[in-house]
Amino acid sequence: MRIQFIVNGRQVERETNAETRLLDLLREDLHLTGTKEGCGEGECGACTVLLDGRAVNSCLVLAPQVDGKEVLTIEGLAPLSKSHSRHSTGRAKGDELHPIQQAFVEKGAVQCGFCTPGFIMSTYALLEENPSPNDEEILSALEGNLCRCTGYTKIIEAVRYAAKLMREER
Amino acid sequence: MGQQYLKVNSIEELLVNLDKPGAMVLCGGTDLVVKMRSGLLSPELLLDISDLPELREIRNIGSKIEIGAAVTQSELLASEIVRERLPLLITVLSQLGCVQIRNRGTLGGNLVNASPAADSAVPLLLFDAEVILTGSQGERRLAVKDFFRGPGKTALSNGEFLRAVLIPLPNPKLSPFFHKIGRRKALTIAIASLGALLHVEGDLIHEVRLAAGSVAPTPIRLRRVEERANGKRVTASLIEEARKLARQSVSPIDDIRASADYRRTVIADLVAHLFEGVLHV
Ligand code: FES
Ligand code: FES
Repeated sequence: MRIQFIVNGRQVERETNAETRLLDLLREDLHLTGTKEGCGEGECGACTVLLDGRAVNSCLVLAPQVDGKEVLTIEGLAPLSKSHSRHSTGRAKGDELHPIQQAFVEKGAVQCGFCTPGFIMSTYALLEENPSPNDEEILSALEGNLCRCTGYTKIIEAVRYAAKLMREER
Repeated sequence: MGQQYLKVNSIEELLVNLDKPGAMVLCGGTDLVVKMRSGLLSPELLLDISDLPELREIRNIGSKIEIGAAVTQSELLASEIVRERLPLLITVLSQLGCVQIRNRGTLGGNLVNASPAADSAVPLLLFDAEVILTGSQGERRLAVKDFFRGPGKTALSNGEFLRAVLIPLPNPKLSPFFHKIGRRKALTIAIASLGALLHVEGDLIHEVRLAAGSVAPTPIRLRRVEERANGKRVTASLIEEARKLARQSVSPIDDIRASADYRRTVIADLVAHLFEGVLHV
């Protein structure tokens, strides 16, 4: 079947079927490989994207279900940054970072990086809704994301810092 | 696999297609998609109800709240009437899954899935909630407790779907209680969980309702404990009796998460803990 949807602000049209997950559609069809597959069953959050503004596991959404909807992936984040140019100083086009990404880098919240896109998308969903979350709110927003490397402390620090950067941007 | 997909635009369209061989209702997919990929289920026709407006409403009808089958858990958590009148549901849902799952998962989906560990059934049992089942022959209402027929089994007949959950608003004097024991706070299926609605004055129990998850083939009410405790004062001997009755009321299994005996002990302890709490306020 043919579906139309918006991904990272761009309207796309694709032929797909009910055996394809949103995760496969993004990675294999659209080559947006920033979204990762960890468990494939809703436990790890590595595949987190925003669907109509809400964080979802793209491994649990079937491709036909996004017909007419809007998807945001890690690749679409940097262009949403309001001070986009400030963070991109000295960086080649395509290497610009969103403040959340910047915060994860600066605070050492990335080790192997496999979980990072998922954490960053969950963080984005949280900060869009709640620009000044307390620690409890941060933990609860990230409950569905697993990290095998960092021990989470640096990630929490990065989220606090990202919230600050984004508040300053506003 | 080779399944077909159809986003239905009306209940009529759903009913017509539900009669076809291998047809199955799809909503948030948090459970169904996993089961399809592991080969546990292989539907031939997926009928997606997640955008059906009639199923996406939370309605207050007199002394009841009707929750459409496609309302997500996140939407319930954000609903004013649910927050005000069904605080127990809020307590339970906020401890279930994680943001990503709650953004897709539904109460109806949890029920149809009929996992013994379906924690969202615990508050529904305590509320004496009903499910509304719709088929081409019309509609019927069934108590949630009668909807479960065993692990993974429900009273849904062929060609029928769960349209809504109907919850009678409980007496506001009943305070909510929910405790879940599991290995990881989020997501993980519980080892055992206990929910309660409790109205006490001093140490006098005016009314108590108790329900447990993961300790029997389906989530259950602990009626014998309730009968023993209703109208009584909390004493050490009542607590011990409640503990014993709770142990006897459940029939858990051994599985990879815990042994049957451990589960029995956990439920007995949670019940005792609830009544001890009354003495310590
Ligand atoms: S890959 Fe989707 S939650 Fe793990
Ligand atoms: S950085 Fe390696 S899993 Fe999180």
